[in-house]
Amino acid sequence: MTERTKIDARGAYCPGPLMELIAALKLVQIGDEVEVWSTDKGSVKDIPEWVAKVRHELVGVTQENGYWSVVVRKAK
Amino acid sequence: MAQPLYILLCSGEHEKLQMAAMMASVGAVSERPVEVFVSMNAMLAFAKQAPAEGRYKGGTFSKLLKEKRAPDAVALFGQGKDLGDMKMWACSMALDVLGWEESQLVDGLFDGALGLTKFLSDAENGQFITL
Repeated sequence: MTERTKIDARGAYCPGPLMELIAALKLVQIGDEVEVWSTDKGSVKDIPEWVAKVRHELVGVTQENGYWSVVVRKAK
Repeated sequence: MAQPLYILLCSGEHEKLQMAAMMASVGAVSERPVEVFVSMNAMLAFAKQAPAEGRYKGGTFSKLLKEKRAPDAVALFGQGKDLGDMKMWACSMALDVLGWEESQLVDGLFDGALGLTKFLSDAENGQFITL
């Protein structure tokens, strides 16, 4: 498995972080992970919703120092 | 498949353009096909030659969107188109009234000019909103 792709979307407003995640997922292989850093609370809720809807895998959401980290695994 | 979303975008107000861009892009990437029909004042925001400062005009929220550098509405429509299932149509009547060709609209967004008859007919199988 390749290294996790990291996206620093801190400071970006909804739906920026979601769009950056989706663009990154298009470029990776199935099974690879993408990690998005976001300061936008709406995005932190919306991204898991999107992941569930389109049936990728939510690896985890963790609160870091001043931002959230959302990790998604490409499932299809 | 989710019910397609048909957005009739007529307002030139920044806030409504932004909302339309957000709904269209998020819908399109969420496996919900979206079609946007642009007419009236909204058309003006899609002029290729619009000045950076004058493209979006609005009220309180518009000022905040600009200050906080929220995603650009036209760029967001573009992302929806690139990453999801989204079509954008320029109202033929509005183009005629303005005396514009499709080539005067921003590149890479519009799938063509369309009349209301077709848009309304296609929208019968989906959900229709107006902004």
